[in-house]
Parts: sequence; structure tokens; C-alpha cells
Amino acid sequence: MAGAIGTESGAMLAAPGRAAGLGGLGLGSVRAVLLPVALAVAALAAWQAVVVLGDIPPVILPSPVSTLRYIVEHWDILLTHAVPTTLESAIGFVLATLLGVLLAIVITYSSLAREALYPNLVFFQLIPKIALAPLFIIWLGIGMQSRVAFAVFIAFFPVVIATTAGFTSVDRGMLRLCRSLTASEWQIFTHVRFPAALPYIFSGMKVAITLAIIGVIIGEFITAQAGLGYLIIFATARADTEVSMAAIVVLCVCGLLLYGLVALGEIVANRIFSAEPA
Amino acid sequence: MAAQSATRPRGPGVPQAMSGATAPATPLLRIAQVEKVYGGRQGPVRAVASASLEIGRGEFVSLLGPSGCGKSTLLMMIAGLETPTSGTIELDGSRVVRPRRDIGIIFQDATLLPWKTTLENVLFPIRILKLPLAPYRERARELLAMVGLSGFENHKPAQLSGGMRQRVAICRALIHDPAILLMDEPFSALDAITRDQMNEALSEIMDRTAKTVIFVTHSIREAAFLSDRVVVMGGRPSHVILDERMPFGRPRRLAIEETPEFGQVVRHLRLTIEQAHGTAPSGRSAGGE
Ligand SMILES: Nc1ncnc2c1ncn2[C@@H]1O[C@H](COP(=O)(O)OP(=O)(O)OP(=O)(O)O)[C@@H](O)[C@H]1O
Ligand SMILES: [Mg+2]
Repeated sequence: MAGAIGTESGAMLAAPGRAAGLGGLGLGSVRAVLLPVALAVAALAAWQAVVVLGDIPPVILPSPVSTLRYIVEHWDILLTHAVPTTLESAIGFVLATLLGVLLAIVITYSSLAREALYPNLVFFQLIPKIALAPLFIIWLGIGMQSRVAFAVFIAFFPVVIATTAGFTSVDRGMLRLCRSLTASEWQIFTHVRFPAALPYIFSGMKVAITLAIIGVIIGEFITAQAGLGYLIIFATARADTEVSMAAIVVLCVCGLLLYGLVALGEIVANRIFSAEPA
Repeated sequence: MAAQSATRPRGPGVPQAMSGATAPATPLLRIAQVEKVYGGRQGPVRAVASASLEIGRGEFVSLLGPSGCGKSTLLMMIAGLETPTSGTIELDGSRVVRPRRDIGIIFQDATLLPWKTTLENVLFPIRILKLPLAPYRERARELLAMVGLSGFENHKPAQLSGGMRQRVAICRALIHDPAILLMDEPFSALDAITRDQMNEALSEIMDRTAKTVIFVTHSIREAAFLSDRVVVMGGRPSHVILDERMPFGRPRRLAIEETPEFGQVVRHLRLTIEQAHGTAPSGRSAGGE
């Protein structure tokens, strides 16, 4: 589920749309909501039917109903594991966004930095960065700092790329107009470049939030004393598949929550910096 | 919409006023032997060889000339966005060495901020210049009313037509009351009918505000209709080849374009430009002497 969100927002990165908002909730969009929900419900029903009718043992595949029952009965345990995962993801995401925007500013304003940094960033993107996760444990220990650092490491890149694209999307005529008005670089940044880049920044942030969660989960897979990733590994090792499944569901909810917060921020920003009529 | 009588009559067509304001004793803008050489990969490009020009307060001067003859370059130098390789530009008694507050610019594209309303876009220079917003808000409304955009204050650029956007850009260029207005082919992206309307509107606005304007265009008719003087640049290397007063009175209506007098002036300008163009090689290189 989380993977699906990742690819979807990856597509968004390619085409940030200032105009794309929640405008026009007509009949078409009722259909657009109903159809996927109906499909999901049908899939869950099919899953339930297969498990019940096929008499599949819960160790192999717990049914949706039994998973839900487990979540309702043991929500306190799940919550204690959900908190560190969500918190670390959020911290990693915020740091990745700050780092990404900062690097984009440096790349935009210094041609030296651009020429030195950009090819390396792209090259870094080519390495399967997940393979580096164990090294972060060696360097930073088994505490949350290693997981947060790894989350930042895999999440900041889309922010850099998208934000740089946003900063450099500003029309040259606009920049010339600003300069003719004796605007300082700071004024150009705050009045023109930053607002123009906002839709791009948010599209980068939407990818970053899903990557940050992935980073934290991988960190927890490797070593942790708590967290949903830890719970999944721990339960799976004991053939407690029902617990794993419940943890995965909670993880999806946490992921959606974080993603929803970013999307909410985007809507607010779009309200202020939209080309659409107020 | 009856044309308002000009606040300050200008041009030879109108009887010379006795007010001292129009007397071209000291020109507002003095361009003296200005040369601009761009350093490029394929050697230097001499965009302007030697331009000398004086423009009086309140004059409307058009710059005509073939593509690449350095019209935009000259305008950028007047705006302080480019530095002349040699020669001097003096505006209102002081040398132009960098961008300054007393200049208003309009480009081919309106270059409005898409997320700002019409009113906010007009007020943009005030924000940049850190002037108090309150008094200028009223002035912005007045300017918008003058260009016929009352009621569009809270529209965003996407809701406006190309001609309307360019009118917003004109208001934005006027909001801080600059000494001179620089316009680089401001209407060339518009369709012919809108362009005619814009020309008539601009003529009326300029009659009212009595601003000094330098107007770059490729259209001889447009130049003849709008200007007190038409300056033609050209030749290799590029320099001023013609500087001619337009013998039409003000206010001007589009109807004057139908008069034989207007046709004659346009023909004369066209011939001069063609001659200048024909006698010189039209290569784009530096044209070393
Ligand atoms: N930034 C620059 N760097 C190098 N060469 C330039 C630059 N700007 C303009 N030029 C060159 O200077 C010459 C004059 O250009 P300019 O844009 O001033 O002409 P123009 O008269 O405005 O042309 P057009 O009518 O097509 O707008 C051209 O040969 C152009 O290639
Ligand atoms: Mg030009």
C-alpha cells in the first residue's frame, strides 16, 4: 500500500500543477471516489472468502476480519509501536525537507555549487541507497538517530530536485523587471522565487514523506527495540502473522496520516499562492 | 469615451505652449556615443556601435529598426540593466550606472505574478521599493480605472485577456511615477485588433500622464501613430540613421491612419529603413571595421 503511494506521488513530481486542487466536486468525482473504494472493498471481501472457504491457517494468511479484531483488542500495544515510527518518520521528513530546500537554494544561487553538487546528487540517486542502511547503524549506533539519519538520506533528494526546478522556473522577464526596480536578491527570493517554487516544493515533499517512512522501517528492520518495523520482524520470526498484518495496517494508517498532513499544507499554500481566482 | 485634452500638449502639431515645462532646454535623457559590445563564445558582438540621442521631458519617442540592431540592448542600458562599453547615458541630470527607481519598464510579455491579484500586481513596485502601501492603493485603483480595468482589481492574471494583462503591466510601470517609461515591443504579442485598441488607449494615457516614453517596435504604423519622434536604428555596425518628428496633432485617434498625410509619413519611414537595410550586409557578426 505504501509502495503504491510512493509511485503515485512519483508521477506527481514530474508534473506539479498549481491549478490542481480540490476544485469542482461534481458527479464525475463522486464516481472517482466510489469506484476505487468499491474495488478495495471487493478485494477485501474476496480475501476474507478465500481464507474462510479455503480454510487457510492464520499463520499463512490471517483474514481481514481477524486482523481487524486483533487491532481492536490490542490497540494499546500497536500504539506504543506506532508512536516511535511515526515520530522518527516525521523528524526525518522535516529534516529532509529543510536540507533539500537549503541545497536547492545553494544550487540556484551558486554556479560553482551547482556544477560541483548536481552531478554527484544524480549519481547518488543511482546507488540502491537501501543497501547503505546497515552502515548508518555502524556510524550512528542503534538509537533513533541512525534511523532518522537514514530516513533523511533517502528522502531529501526529491526535495532538492523539485525545489531547484521551482526556483529556476521563474520567468527571466520577471527577474529583469525585479532588477530594474532595484530589488535585492532577498526580495526577489521572497516575492518571486519562493512562491513560484511552492507547488514544486510540495510535490517533492509528498515523495519525501513516503521515502522517510520507508527509511525508518528499514532501520527498524535492522535494529530497534520498538516501532512497527520492529514489531513486523519480531512477529514474523515467531510465525505470529496476525500481529505482522495488524502492524502493517497500522503502518499504512500512519503513512496516510503523515501524507495527509503534507497534502493539507499544500492545499493551504495553494489557497494563498494560486493562479486561480480566490 | 471622449479623449481627454492633454494635460501637457507636446509635439510640433500642437501650438507651442508658453509653459516652461515643455521647453526642451535640458533633455530628460541624454545618450552620448553609447557603444555596447557583448563578449560571446564566437567572438564579441557589437550590438550598438554608437548611439547618440536626446529626449526631452514628455516626449514620446519610438525606436524602429531591423531585428538585432540593438534596440533592446539600448533600452536595457537606459534601464541600467546593462552597462555601456563606452559612452554615457544621463537621465534627469545624473548618469545611469545601475538600475534606479525612476524608471518604469514594460516588456513584450506582461510578466505578472500569477498568484497575485491585479491590484497586488500593480502595487508590486511599491513593495519592492518599500514605499507606504496605503496611499498607493488609491493611485493603483485610479490607474486601473484609467486603462479601463475598474472592477478587475481582484482578478488574477489567468482571468484576464492578453491585452488586459498588458494594461496591468502599464499600470505597474506607472505606479511609482517614474521619470521615464521604457517599452520593449509591448504589444507585439497581441492580435491586430487588440493592438490597435491598445495603441489608441496608450496614446490617450500618455496624453494624460505626460510621461516621457521610449517605445521599441517593429511596426512603422504603430511608431508613427504613437510618437512625437521616430528614431530609426540600423546599419552595420548599428547606429541612429534617422530621427524624425511626426507632424500629427494630439489627441490622436486611429482615424488619422486613414489620412494621406499619415500614409506619406509611413512610406517615407519604410523607404529609409529599407535603404539602410539594403546597403549594409545583414550578417549578425561583430562587423569589424
Ligand atoms: N546578452 C547578450 N549576449 C550576447 N549578445 C547579445 C546579448 N543580447 C543581445 N545580443 C546581441 O546583440 C545584438 C542586438 O540585440 P538586441 O536584442 O538588442 O536587438 P533588437 O534590436 O532588440 O532585436 P529584436 O528586434 O529582434 O528584438 C544581436 O546581435 C544579439 O544577438
Ligand atoms: Mg528586442
